Amino acid sequence: MRRRVWILVLAAPVVAATLLLISGARGFTASAEQAQTSNVEVKIDNFSFGPATLTVAAGTTVTWTNRDDIPHTVVSEDKAFKSKVLDTDEKFSYTFTKPGTYGYFCSIHPKMTGKVVVQ
Amino acid sequence: MTGVAKAFDPSTVLLAKHAQHVVLVHFPIALFITGVAFDWASQWTRRQALAEAAYYNLLIAAASTLPVVVTGVLAWQFQLEGERLKGILLLHLVMGWASTVLICAVWWLHFRARRRGLAVPGYLRMLEGVAVVAVGLTGHLGGFLSGVSGG
Repeated sequence: MRRRVWILVLAAPVVAATLLLISGARGFTASAEQAQTSNVEVKIDNFSFGPATLTVAAGTTVTWTNRDDIPHTVVSEDKAFKSKVLDTDEKFSYTFTKPGTYGYFCSIHPKMTGKVVVQ
Repeated sequence: MTGVAKAFDPSTVLLAKHAQHVVLVHFPIALFITGVAFDWASQWTRRQALAEAAYYNLLIAAASTLPVVVTGVLAWQFQLEGERLKGILLLHLVMGWASTVLICAVWWLHFRARRRGLAVPGYLRMLEGVAVVAVGLTGHLGGFLSGVSGG
C-alpha cells in the first residue's frame, strides 16, 4: 500500500510535467501558425518586389506597399487578383485561401515579377 | 506577359501589349526634334535643302504620332484596363496629347506655307520651341514611368 503511494507521489509530477510540456508545445505551435496566417507585407521598391518569393500559410493576407517613386501594379498571372495602379505609399492586400503557387507581376513593368507560395 | 520573355525575341515586342508604344514613341521624338533643328538651321543659313529636310522630318514625325497615340491608348486599356489615371500616368497622357497636337500643328503650318508659296509665319519658330519642350517633358515622364530615366 505504502509502495503504491510512493509510486503515485513520484509519478504525479512526471505526468503533470509531461502534460504541461504537451500543452505548452501545442500552444506554441498554435501561436506560430497564427503568426503565419496574419498579415505579411511585400515591399515594392526600386522596380522589384521584396521578398520576390514569399511562403505563407493558407488564410494569410499579403499586403503590397509601393515604396517606389513610380506607380506600379500587382497582377497575378492566373488573374486571381489585380490591384489598381499604386502610387507611392499606396497599398494593396489579398488573402490567399487556397494552397498553390501564385506568380504575379507589375503590368506597367512586366519584368517585375514575384511569387507567393501558399501552403 | 511576364519577365520570362526574351529580350530579343520578336514576340516579346509583338505580344507585350504595352511595348509597342515604348518602341514607336522614339520615332516622332527623334524626327520632330531633328526637323526643328533643320528648320532653325535653314533659317540661319538660308539653305533650301535644310528647309526641305526639315519639312519631310516634320511630315513623318506628324504621321508617326498616330500609331504612338493608338498604342499608348491600347496600353492603357490592356495593361490598366482603362483605369482612371492619376499622378505621373495622367501627366504623361496629358503631355502626350499636347505634344501630338503641337507636332501636327507645326507640320500643318509648314504644309500650309508651302502650299501657298508663302514664308512660314513668324510665330512658328516659337511654337516649335514650345513643342520641343513639350515633347522633351513627355518623353522624360515616359522614361521615368518605364524606369529608363531615374526611378
